[in-house]
Amino acid sequence: MNKQGANLKTKPKITNMSGTLKRLAGYLMKRKAKLILTMIMVALSSVLALAGPFIIGVSIDDYIAAGDERGLLWLLVGLAFVYISYSAVMFLQNYWMADIAQKSVYELRDDLFRHFHMLPIAFFDKRRHGELMSRVTNDIDNISSTLNSTIIQIGSGVLTLAGSIVVMVYLSPILTAVTLIIIPLMFLGMKWITSRTGPKFKEQQRHLGDLNGFIEEAISSRHIVKMFSREDEMIADFMEKNGRLREAGYLAQAYSGFIPKLMNVLNNSSFAMIALAGGILALKGHATVGTIVIFTEYARQFTRPLNDLANQYNTLLSAVAGAERVFDIMDTDKAIDESTGGHHHILGEVVFQDVSFSYEKGKETLSDVSFSALKGEMIALIGPTGSGKTTIMNLLARFYEPDLGSILFDGVDSREISGSDLRRQMGFVLQDTVLFEETVMENIRYGRLDATDEEVVEAARLANAHAFIMKMPDGYAAKLSQDGSGISQGQRQLIAIARAVLADPVLLILDEATSSIDTMTELHIQEALSRLMEGRTSFVIAHRLNTIRRADQVIALREGRVEAIGTYKDVVGIENA
Amino acid sequence: MNGVLSLLKPYRLKMAAAWGLMLLELAVELVLPILMAKMIDDGILAGDLDTVIRWGAIMIGLSLFSFAAGITNSFIAARIGQNYGYDIRKKLIEKVQSFSFAQYGHFDTSTLITRMTNDVTQLQNAVFMSLRIMLRAPLMIIFGTVMAVYVHFGLSIVLLITVPVMTIFMLWMMSRGARMFQRVQKKLDKVNSVMRENLTGIRLIKAFVRSEYEKTRFQQAGTALMNETIRVIRTFESIVPILLLVMNSSLIFILWFGFVEMQNGTATTGEIVAIINYAARIIISLSIFTFITIAFARGKASAGRIDEVLQIEEEKLKPVTDTYPKEGAIEFDRITFTYPGGTSPVLNELTMTVKRGEMAAILGETGSGKSALLSLIPRLYEPDSGVVLIGGRDISRMNMDLLRREIGFVPQESHLFSGSILDNIRWGKKDATEEEVVEAARKAQIHETIEALPDGYNTVIGQKGVTLSGGQKQRISIARALIRKPDILLLDDSTSALDVKTETALIDAVTEEECTIFIVTQKISTAQLADRIFIIEDGKISVSGTHAELAAEDSLYKRLMESQGRKEDAYEQTGR
Repeated sequence: MNKQGANLKTKPKITNMSGTLKRLAGYLMKRKAKLILTMIMVALSSVLALAGPFIIGVSIDDYIAAGDERGLLWLLVGLAFVYISYSAVMFLQNYWMADIAQKSVYELRDDLFRHFHMLPIAFFDKRRHGELMSRVTNDIDNISSTLNSTIIQIGSGVLTLAGSIVVMVYLSPILTAVTLIIIPLMFLGMKWITSRTGPKFKEQQRHLGDLNGFIEEAISSRHIVKMFSREDEMIADFMEKNGRLREAGYLAQAYSGFIPKLMNVLNNSSFAMIALAGGILALKGHATVGTIVIFTEYARQFTRPLNDLANQYNTLLSAVAGAERVFDIMDTDKAIDESTGGHHHILGEVVFQDVSFSYEKGKETLSDVSFSALKGEMIALIGPTGSGKTTIMNLLARFYEPDLGSILFDGVDSREISGSDLRRQMGFVLQDTVLFEETVMENIRYGRLDATDEEVVEAARLANAHAFIMKMPDGYAAKLSQDGSGISQGQRQLIAIARAVLADPVLLILDEATSSIDTMTELHIQEALSRLMEGRTSFVIAHRLNTIRRADQVIALREGRVEAIGTYKDVVGIENA
Repeated sequence: MNGVLSLLKPYRLKMAAAWGLMLLELAVELVLPILMAKMIDDGILAGDLDTVIRWGAIMIGLSLFSFAAGITNSFIAARIGQNYGYDIRKKLIEKVQSFSFAQYGHFDTSTLITRMTNDVTQLQNAVFMSLRIMLRAPLMIIFGTVMAVYVHFGLSIVLLITVPVMTIFMLWMMSRGARMFQRVQKKLDKVNSVMRENLTGIRLIKAFVRSEYEKTRFQQAGTALMNETIRVIRTFESIVPILLLVMNSSLIFILWFGFVEMQNGTATTGEIVAIINYAARIIISLSIFTFITIAFARGKASAGRIDEVLQIEEEKLKPVTDTYPKEGAIEFDRITFTYPGGTSPVLNELTMTVKRGEMAAILGETGSGKSALLSLIPRLYEPDSGVVLIGGRDISRMNMDLLRREIGFVPQESHLFSGSILDNIRWGKKDATEEEVVEAARKAQIHETIEALPDGYNTVIGQKGVTLSGGQKQRISIARALIRKPDILLLDDSTSALDVKTETALIDAVTEEECTIFIVTQKISTAQLADRIFIIEDGKISVSGTHAELAAEDSLYKRLMESQGRKEDAYEQTGR
């Protein structure tokens, strides 16, 4: 049986460069019309770039030397026209390209984010948050800065190269052959360089992600670090990762730095060789001075795009290093709960049938758990820590899938109901209360997005949160921080309860919802909760008697097995005190 | 040089070397057209093949020489750039680790993360760029202009006008761009922040089926980043067409005046060709200069953001005593405390005394300041007024490390690190032996549970230790505090997820230790075990005493007791 909890294996990964590039190109191709227009501009600008030196060459040879003033004037007017169009075309290509590239980057980032939301909970339980964040920022940023210039440069590079060769052959096949000598040299050099930079780029991105992960963890656990005076060790650990990043970065950058130098020496040598060969040819009367001048100009026009192409190829390798890490996530299998199952309108009956489950192979967290809850019943789950109470909640919410047995909602197998459809009909108060960087009002409204302000306040009143909220400097408009500083753990739980109250669900799940709340406040909330539970099936995990006194059924768990099941009186064994 | 740029100081010599090599390279490049002109004039036009060959050979030799210089430059520049980034990150982590709790409040976690990775990368790139081509482009422009003037002054006048104008234009763009990039980085912070919220809150988001809502939020952050990026790119990329137009026009002028001069016999073809050649190189250098402008603007923006972090001043330390009194009571003397950013004090003239070696339970309503009280002992926060005394010594004058070394702290939310359970417990005492770890785990009542795991103490847990139950995490976090053999143990409601049986066993084991215990709890059953119970109301200790004393009085304690019934734990009650 396929176990969903540990199902983190991925589709066969595309680790080759062309596959990754193809996927990146797919994003660009979504704006095909604009891309074609841009490419036309690139073609035009390449032609215009070639036309410039050609006209200059002609003007020197045929007009300046010949003293033809009228002809030169006309030629220069033509040249001015060429230059104006060149700048205009270039402006347009840049203008459109910024749009194409950044929209593609935006979509890529968005797709990545969307995919995150389709991944199983187990995926997030095992990863460092900061490492995942690095993929959304640092890796995509790497792609972003590349895409903008690369496409244009590669486009114009290829075109200019082709154009230059044609013109050069036309002008002098011998000098062309001399110029082309540098190409095989360049290929050899580039191969040597990129076989070193490519892997280093990947390493660099990996170490950067690692560092990002470390920082996130270090900052979010700052209270512990401070308390245990572990600052120096944190710094030492950080420096070790920092050092690894530096090494990878050093080699990647140093070898990348070879490319312009290599191209430069090839450029200069070819310049010298052309001058030499041209000089010999001119002496023998096979070429004119004008030809040599034009030719050196073209040789430069020829080596410049070569230089650009070489550099861009290398930059592309660095973008691929980032893109691979992005696609790596996007190739991780989606959660089963999102991809299977349809809609089912929950009435409230829940049955666990011989459910077994383990987070990790070899250690069963739940074994053969069976029970049934009728519509409107309150089910209390009790048991020592680690007995599997929260796991039952995880299965109910379809965060995980049972290994064996099944969970039935009104007789419908949970595997046939999509996770989000199921959860939409449930209300939760989870063990870890999460706050968002929003106002108190918005944090509570998270329970039901279309709730009015009055409804939010009403929910807060029911959850006994109203009083403390009003004591805050800005009341409901007070901004909370992600780390929840400024309000206590108990108050956070009150906000979480208000959220669930607002959600108005068919099924209610409370996992240690009141553990950090003092028992007197809890008594008040109990009133609200029991009103809330009326007519709804609810599952409650708690240690406190008060919390579960009204339960219709109490399930005592031990080491993943149901130890006892029955009424409060049967299981807990005392009358209401 | 101040701020983050001053970190470049140690690399002055190396930078000079890199620049020197760059100059050599540049010199070769500048000399080549002169040699070319010489070859045309003296060699080809004079019909002297030997001269042609000689100059050609020299040109090739020089090219190879500049290649060697270039490669060396690349290695040195990469070294400096990466070392610089390494140094900045070092300074940043040291600074961030020295932050007090209040200072952490100045920055959101996600912006600190961006600043420590992305912004450092930007700055590092700018430095690397400057070492490789920064000088090169401007020098190329200057030398190109000078050489053109040297070859033929009249024809170069047009360059003398356009080049400075374009340079000033780009410098102006650079300062404008820095501000724009600062906005880009801010938007990146926002993307980072939404992403982080989604990662930490993924369970809640899934539970409330808020994926669509979150996607919209992320899209907003993403769109803002995209628009800002497009804006800055468009601004910078429009420089190149403008620049080309201006510079190319000057080529037309050179050709025209060249023609006029030639008619007058004051210029040669070779001279015109040379000047056109120089002008072409200047144009290329100017367009490279735009890249530098972008990198510098970006670097400047990031440097500003990094400096903001580095310039946070370390809190002034009062005169420090280097001893920690092992005896004497722990006293709170008229403590008033307001959370940073809060408006009203949580603790108000609070006074309490706990005898050394005793266990003090602290009870109070939700939000009454119990956690605040505990956090003042290890000086996570400093009180607004009043003093905390240990053995009669004011802890604010005590060496912070020394103080904290004596304290074992278990926070409300058990925060575990990614790594093995062994590592997590050993975190409390880095040189702890395996026996010590097991002993601490035993006391924390978690040893058997760990042993039952397939990998035992080597079981790897995620960042949030999620495959462990809430109670298991709490106990590991308690073991982490116990392994230090602390003099003062602070338990901030950190046994809430434990059943009473486990909790009682745990507290029994803990009280055997020779330490003073502060325990915040909601449970009367736990409070009963304490030597003295303190009730916080309205930021003050309203009443204190033993369980028996307090149960007799009509107090909040009694009301709390009544709200809890005889036995607190449900499972315990089943008698199993």
